[in-house]
Amino acid sequence: MKRLSDQEKHRLISSLGEHIAHTHALGITVEKVEGEALTLRLPYAENLVGDPATGVLHGGVITVLLDQTLGVAALACDSLAPSIAPTLDLRIDHLRVAPPGKDILATASVYRTTRRVLFTQGIAYWDSPDNTIARATGTWLRLDEVDTTWTGNIERKEA
Amino acid sequence: MSLADIIRHAPSSETLSLWLEKVPYAAYLGIEARVEGDDILFILPPDDKLLGNPAIRAIHGGVIGAFMEQAAVFHLIARMETPVLPKIIDFSLDYLRANFARHTYARCHVTRQGRSVANVHITAWQDDEQQPTATARAHFLIDEALT
Repeated sequence: MKRLSDQEKHRLISSLGEHIAHTHALGITVEKVEGEALTLRLPYAENLVGDPATGVLHGGVITVLLDQTLGVAALACDSLAPSIAPTLDLRIDHLRVAPPGKDILATASVYRTTRRVLFTQGIAYWDSPDNTIARATGTWLRLDEVDTTWTGNIERKEA
Repeated sequence: MSLADIIRHAPSSETLSLWLEKVPYAAYLGIEARVEGDDILFILPPDDKLLGNPAIRAIHGGVIGAFMEQAAVFHLIARMETPVLPKIIDFSLDYLRANFARHTYARCHVTRQGRSVANVHITAWQDDEQQPTATARAHFLIDEALT
């Protein structure tokens, strides 16, 4: 997504999000784009709880949010053409749980690109990055050909 | 009846579905479970709201991770004499193949269970158990005193 302003990226990533059924159903939205760093917001909801006794969100919901944030950060990487590459792996450390009722934010960026592999990292937190609840690293395989299906969807929708 | 009450009963396919219904996100995903001898087979039926890639109609990678984490949690509870809800410490997920919009299955293996930590290996597949779509490894804190 070379040469796009933060605002243009914000708009493109928001419309991309509408095509991703699960994260759209969870109400995940773009919070902020600052250069290579992307922040998404997951609103707290009762149906996303993992421990009904405490109301704490399911660990898997944090996995979904981080997978999405790291993946879209890879997609929006400045040095590359937009393409969806398969995820190779995702690793998450669950450092603490957020208080029930709090929205969760996740910020991610690409920290290394090679010809074949993208390395990404990110954190999930509530209110501020000081309240980090999880830390993730993920690797994506770069495909030879650019997958224009996604950007094509965006253009068709806006046309 | 609370989840804590329900998990005190030995897992049958019936109690497992009661467990799963009590966990809101597991119920939302539509996770099912079946006791097979000493083992538990976890099942994620296809549903459009689980998709993450509209172009190839693949299930969201994060959903596969959530399904596998939930499978590991209930696999561990099923083995406990005094059941407590395990707390996830870390989770490492390898995506091997795309999961398309059809049934996904998961089975767990407890690699090591110490006094306070369990290491669980989880395998997910669609058509052939010998051709997994994802594998994962997770550590859980299970000591009630430490949680």
